[in-house]
Amino acid sequence: MHDQATDLLLPEEADIASVADAIRAHVHCDEGRAGHSVTRYLDSFDWSLYLAGATLEDRLDERGRVLIWRVRDPNRVDAVQPIDADPGLIDSVPVGPVRERLAPPLGVRRLLPMAEVRTQSLMLRVLNDDEKTVARILVERHWLAQAPAGTDIPLLARLRLLPVRGYRQELDATAALLPQNLRLGPAQVSLFERALAAAGRAPGSYSSKLDYRLDPQQRADAATKEILLGLLETIAVNVDGAKANLDSEFLHDLRVATRRTRSALSQIKGVFPPDIVDDFKARFAWLQQVTGPLRDLDVYLLDYPRLRDSLPPRLGNDLEPLRDWLSAHYAEEQDKLAAALESSQFLGLLQDWRRFLTSPVPSETGLANAARPIKAVADRRIWRMFRRVRDEGRAITDASPAPEMHELRKSCKKLRYLMEFFQSLYAEKEVRGPIKQTKRLLDNLGAYQDLSVQAEHLRETAERMHAEGAADVGSLLAMGALIERMLDTRQQARQAFGRTFAEFDDDANGALFRQLFRATNAAAVAPAAGDGA
Amino acid sequence: MKIIAVYSIKGGVGKTTSAVNLAYLAASEGRRTLVWDLDPQGAASFYFRVKPKVKGGGKALLRGKRGPDESIKGTDFELLDLLPADFSYRNLDILLDGKHGATHRLKRLLQPMGREYDLLFLDCPPSISLMSENIFRAADALLVPVIPSTLSARTLTQLTDFLTESGGHAGLRLLPFCSMVDRSRALHADTIVRLGESCPSLLGAVIPLAPEVERMGLHRMPLPAYAPSSAVSAAYRELWRELKAALES
Repeated sequence: MHDQATDLLLPEEADIASVADAIRAHVHCDEGRAGHSVTRYLDSFDWSLYLAGATLEDRLDERGRVLIWRVRDPNRVDAVQPIDADPGLIDSVPVGPVRERLAPPLGVRRLLPMAEVRTQSLMLRVLNDDEKTVARILVERHWLAQAPAGTDIPLLARLRLLPVRGYRQELDATAALLPQNLRLGPAQVSLFERALAAAGRAPGSYSSKLDYRLDPQQRADAATKEILLGLLETIAVNVDGAKANLDSEFLHDLRVATRRTRSALSQIKGVFPPDIVDDFKARFAWLQQVTGPLRDLDVYLLDYPRLRDSLPPRLGNDLEPLRDWLSAHYAEEQDKLAAALESSQFLGLLQDWRRFLTSPVPSETGLANAARPIKAVADRRIWRMFRRVRDEGRAITDASPAPEMHELRKSCKKLRYLMEFFQSLYAEKEVRGPIKQTKRLLDNLGAYQDLSVQAEHLRETAERMHAEGAADVGSLLAMGALIERMLDTRQQARQAFGRTFAEFDDDANGALFRQLFRATNAAAVAPAAGDGA
Repeated sequence: MKIIAVYSIKGGVGKTTSAVNLAYLAASEGRRTLVWDLDPQGAASFYFRVKPKVKGGGKALLRGKRGPDESIKGTDFELLDLLPADFSYRNLDILLDGKHGATHRLKRLLQPMGREYDLLFLDCPPSISLMSENIFRAADALLVPVIPSTLSARTLTQLTDFLTESGGHAGLRLLPFCSMVDRSRALHADTIVRLGESCPSLLGAVIPLAPEVERMGLHRMPLPAYAPSSAVSAAYRELWRELKAALES
């Protein structure tokens, strides 16, 4: 079992030399090793390392630059690895013990600096009679680095008592001596947390998941504005990251929030004036369209290693020109995206949309659903959409063409979004099942549809590459083999559809939907005009 | 966890200094490293200023009454720990003899350590015995220091013969290297050439015979920690580079 490190706060006026003198007066220590360091705390934009219980530091000091990996205990090093360049995506981190640990939680995300801390330190070794290290005392003063230089924010000075394995008694004896002689207080939060707080960041704070707390009796137009405002915040918070292409996930989340916005606009009917709905639907459709090409390239490039490995090794090598071609077009598409996100068309959209969503709802309204309780509107919309998915699904046979599958997928997605928007109106335990069941069906339909689109897209890409002289025969054959794989997998998804849909369409699931979304309809206000499916 | 046994049938060939210096270099690169001082003389424990004492002795360890983790001590260096020697290790062969699975016992004992360490260096006592067989079963690599003299080179032949005859060591990498080399002696230079011809896995690093190495006993720390720019430290760094490459291949 490992002993725990102790993290203590020094009095604010403490300077390192006098603290060290005070320690030496009571504890047998060496002269100590003075140092300066700069530590950048790294994580993905969605805090994947933090959520996995780990912290990653990029530290530069007199001995060099290293990545330090810690799990849970902020005073214990779990792995260290030298580096010589800024780490970003996992491929930019050299092979080594930190990379091994970092790769699974980071996945395809990019490492971004979350806070930078400058440190002045003195490491003292606590020695026994043999002059052997039995504990370490680290005295540190920290500053949160800020731009411009000279505006750094001081963080409280710390003293850390670090254990050496197998010397528990010596550690305890040292721990007992220090606080009483040095006026130390326990540090409630780690340096990592302190630095992030000073930098105005809350670890784990970002989530693109929908999490609303709606009141069932709330007016439907007000509740819908609340939902759309949450989606607008997700769009806004991802704009800078998407423009700078810090991580492909910024753009992805921006697009998902856009898609959800469009879905809410068209699916929550009769709550806003039709001319306003039509205007914003068109403008968000434009946003979806201009952000599409780069996302397509992202999907390919992120998926490329898997695509290559799905082919026999010889063909896999022939696929390299495809990656080169995609990479070559990437910068061009990224520039187009950045321009779109800086355009007056986009900025105007955000501004107008926010103005509309934050303006008060009218006290008098002629709109069918605007003033109704949101729960009644939600019940009705979800129930209708469930029945539509069921009817469309039942109509599908082995002979049904691809467009019918696509239509079903679109309905299924609408159903999922509606349930997610409104899930706080229902008991969490009860609504979870139908959402899960819908996601399962959606996964199957999504796999089928995405592979259809990918295969078609790859065929067009092969034609363009051929026309530009960017693909030789070997590459074209490899791409052909890949298309064949995609179509095979697509066929598997098609074959699995019957079983997946049967699960969705079984009596128990139907009863669940009925009980949750249908039962209250009888008690609800008479069906309103303009609420057709 | 990769296990490297620093091993030789012959004594006084530089096993302990190699184990200590390589383990230090591994830890300073960020690998969680453990040295097990298996030699009852306890030289590695001495270099790390740790008392050569294990709770319950070798008997409690081999019989599983006490886990190795109970006796591990941190060294003066971060990420580098030591499982100390114990005088009772002189009887390890007797303790192993007659036990069921006597040749696999060490391997089983070390398995749980893989969660805590990336590398384990076994500083082995000079002999060829039941304990040695345990070491061959447990280790990924057998790092064998060879003084380029006739007698020392002969023990390398004995070792390769033994490994071939006893069989079942297919995954074990045999990595000899030249140790305590006196470049001024023609015999050493000649023997190195002959060793290279007869043993293709001979590593290229050559550890020179140097007074700095002897001073490890005065400093009681790894050589690259107090004489990082010495020629011997450079030789150990080269040896570590080759060992790392062999372990990763």
